[in-house]
Amino acid sequence: MKITRRDVLVWGAGATAGLVFTPVPWKLLSDISIWTQNWRWIPQPTHRPVDVKGSFCTLCPNGCGIRVRMAAGWPVGVAGVRSHPISRGALCPLGFAAHQLIWHPQRLRTVRHRRSTSSWDEAHVAFAKACTEGPVVIVDGYPGHAASSLFEAFAEKQRGSYRVVSGPEAQALTPYETWSGVPATALGYDLENVRTIVSFGAPLLDGWGTPGQFTRLWAERAAGAADPDLRLIQIEPSLSRTAARAWQRSAIHPGGETALAAGIARVLLEEQLVQARGPMPPLTLAQSAEQSGLSTDAIRDLARLIVGRPPVVAIASDDNPSIAALNVLLGAVGTRGGIVQKSKHAKSHLPAESELDSVRAVLIDSSVPWDFVPQTDAEVFRFAAWDGGSSKADWLLPAPGFLEELTDIPTAPTSAIETYAIASSLVKAPPGVQSAAQFLGRVDPDLTPVDKIIHTRCEALFRARAGTLCAQETTPVAMIPSVEKLEEQLQSGAVWMGEPQHPGGLRCKLSEWPQATRSECPPCNSLGTWRAPVLPPLASKLYQESSLREGPERRNP
Amino acid sequence: MNATRNTFVFGLGVAIALLAGWVIFPRALYVRQNQLLAFHHKTHAEKSGFTECGQCHALRDDGTFGGIPSSDTCTSCHSERMGASHDEAVLVDNYVKTGQEVPWLVYARQPANVWFSHAIHVQRAGLACAECHSTYGQSDEVRIYEQNRLSGYSRDIWGHSISRIRLGRHDGMKMDDCEDCHRRHHVQAGCLGCHQ
Amino acid sequence: MSTRYGMVIDLDRCTGCGACMVACAAENNVPPLPQATSRTGLTPMLVRRVSNGMEGQARREVFIPILCMHCEHETPCVSVCPQQAVELDKGTGIVMQMPQRCLGCRYCMTACPYHARYFNWWDPAWPQGMEKSLNPGVAVRMRGVVEKCNLCHARLHSAKEKAAAAGKREIDPADYVPACVEACPTAAIQFGNLADKDDPVSREAHSPDAFRFLERIGTEPKVYYKSGEAWVRALKGSVSEVEVKRG
Repeated sequence: MKITRRDVLVWGAGATAGLVFTPVPWKLLSDISIWTQNWRWIPQPTHRPVDVKGSFCTLCPNGCGIRVRMAAGWPVGVAGVRSHPISRGALCPLGFAAHQLIWHPQRLRTVRHRRSTSSWDEAHVAFAKACTEGPVVIVDGYPGHAASSLFEAFAEKQRGSYRVVSGPEAQALTPYETWSGVPATALGYDLENVRTIVSFGAPLLDGWGTPGQFTRLWAERAAGAADPDLRLIQIEPSLSRTAARAWQRSAIHPGGETALAAGIARVLLEEQLVQARGPMPPLTLAQSAEQSGLSTDAIRDLARLIVGRPPVVAIASDDNPSIAALNVLLGAVGTRGGIVQKSKHAKSHLPAESELDSVRAVLIDSSVPWDFVPQTDAEVFRFAAWDGGSSKADWLLPAPGFLEELTDIPTAPTSAIETYAIASSLVKAPPGVQSAAQFLGRVDPDLTPVDKIIHTRCEALFRARAGTLCAQETTPVAMIPSVEKLEEQLQSGAVWMGEPQHPGGLRCKLSEWPQATRSECPPCNSLGTWRAPVLPPLASKLYQESSLREGPERRNP
Repeated sequence: MNATRNTFVFGLGVAIALLAGWVIFPRALYVRQNQLLAFHHKTHAEKSGFTECGQCHALRDDGTFGGIPSSDTCTSCHSERMGASHDEAVLVDNYVKTGQEVPWLVYARQPANVWFSHAIHVQRAGLACAECHSTYGQSDEVRIYEQNRLSGYSRDIWGHSISRIRLGRHDGMKMDDCEDCHRRHHVQAGCLGCHQ
Repeated sequence: MSTRYGMVIDLDRCTGCGACMVACAAENNVPPLPQATSRTGLTPMLVRRVSNGMEGQARREVFIPILCMHCEHETPCVSVCPQQAVELDKGTGIVMQMPQRCLGCRYCMTACPYHARYFNWWDPAWPQGMEKSLNPGVAVRMRGVVEKCNLCHARLHSAKEKAAAAGKREIDPADYVPACVEACPTAAIQFGNLADKDDPVSREAHSPDAFRFLERIGTEPKVYYKSGEAWVRALKGSVSEVEVKRG
């Protein structure tokens, strides 16, 4: 019996009719609709449970407290810590996406020697050799933390030098060091008690100091009030975010801060608006007006406004000594609401200059901003967790990044109270990374490693019986039973806070108005003192998609 | 003659379609996989004294469900080999000692956009585990894991029968099945009450 | 007592820092797609910089965080959706968007008077390994669906679960804090139950300085704004007619 075409068609008709009475079309429809929504290239979050751990952000010297949600050993969310006495639960916008940095496409994972892949052993050999041939400079971006002690000890033994790159906030305090002899790292701003702030371009609401420190004070005491208790006067050439929200603003010519500070000082002295009797700045009021862009009347009005609600402090966006001199005139040094000394033990450090002569090698820690480029022919060993782009470094060495290494958090540069915290490592560092401290520890095994330095510091804190431990509850250190308990608390995210120091005692000797100096300070922009060479991808995306674009100084990958 | 032949051929088509749809299709649609390790619930309950499901499949302090216990839980007894079985050797050497998690195949795994709270259903509503998970916890059977090739979900979600005729209250875990129970108990959830 | 979750955003306190935007994007597993622009981007919370149109010393600027207003009355997006992929929850007052039900017609984006809805133009993608940082509790959406702020529903889920485990019927308000509220360094964004007369947010919403955008169209948004400056309150007539400064 031949099978004809008709047979096939009739059979097909039967099969189709039969198929309708089977689950096939209905189930296939349902399953295909699910299949088209579950493409395998779309990732989904883990099913593993979430634990919350406390640590601290190490991406800038302010060290905000963070609460990290961890699942399957990886961070899945970052938030602030309300009990942190300085940051009080706030983080900068970048902090909320900082956990993405672990997988940033520009993450450094292999040692590179002049653009070609190398190895840690080769880097060690080269560095060890350099150490025997001449002095080595160690450049640190985060002075005061445990690794800094290690760097200093190494530099001393090797007869090299230890130098520091500070951010603009710390640099703004250096003139007071020159005039008082007290190290800049021991100084801070008593913002709790100030009532008028004159900011010369410092982005106080937008990337200055610890997030949460000034912004909360401003929100509580200044925002929205026609006659606020805390007056913020912003002086800068452009309409920055801080200028837009300040109580008063003055638009000056770029670079006119020096002349304006001099003009204000002259008015304060001539009209006897301050107790100080000198030194008189060399510029006349007319010259100040011309160079700053404000009229002489405007400068007079500004000077009167500044002293209208004491205490007053002037905050600079760099190490401009004219603004520091203005503070001396205003009586804002060593007084309530002004620049105060927070610590008796802080050290002064040599700044890292870009001109480095007669050194054999330079080792730059990962805490140093990427745009610090040493002008030298010496061999440069650059540690970094991310590749920031073109670099003069001979050796590019992958360092641990966010949450990947145990370190400690010294007092933030602008704080008026000493604090101490330990940033635990919450994430395993990827294979093949090594911090500068570990690297130097291999070259000189006699150096005390970071974890021992941290332990010694905890012991010192415990023995001093001073200050309080801020966590969910606040406990005086005197009531903590053992150093182990103290260290355990610190390791889980508690913050040690010192006792407020009496403001009096800091005296600045200023016999004549300072000369204007050329500042080598990095620009004080809205990204503040962010140290990583890259931004978290979500932050880059949001800056691209919204009106909140940042300045050109930082690379947006 | 043609009519008879046509009818016969038509009928043959229908029969073959019905066979393919009801017998072959369900077999072909699902991939059958064994669990990596043969875990026997009943034996473990007897030997460890943990007779309640919630003692191993526990709610955590923040209310989230612990799910299938992590390999830490196995460590409390299996830190070293206790018997002679091959599976136990694999457990101890590859998972307990290394701290890695056993890649269990989860029969009740819901899509990523579903939020189901064990705390609310077990603690607050008082649902018994067997209501949705049948008496698997009382058997020593290691069920085969059948995965739908197209949707990627376990056969337990659609229900064992390809026709969606449920064989019991625990059979089938699709949205309709959740809605049936919610309707019976007059509990409103709202869309995002169950989705995320 | 009924629950009507809402917000009061103090525009005098907003410094435009963008922490709320980043925290929102991180919480909701928004992909960092580098090809997106300000028109094709995905920002369930978006801060806009708005000025009073004048120049020099007379120029005033304010930062306005825009998110879904969770309209209570004749919710525009709910009324136009052909898929019922969005619904006003009677129990909480939250307008719930279900991207998994959406077919991507974008009618809701047209209907939303506040431009608070965003479309997934591309499949979400993260640099390799970064998918390990995804927030559990929020499913990742595929391309072709619309999404918007759901008032951090994952956090409400966690709060409910915690309450159930502790044997309580009501959640602890301290457990349910949306990401933007938590992130704001000046506490400009306040969140609470507008139906509860004792809730501070409910009181703030009735203060004379509080206003809502586009009140005249009668959607009854549950996100209130507050400012002591009259020119800012006068912006309530329109969200897009005033000068929007980008960059």
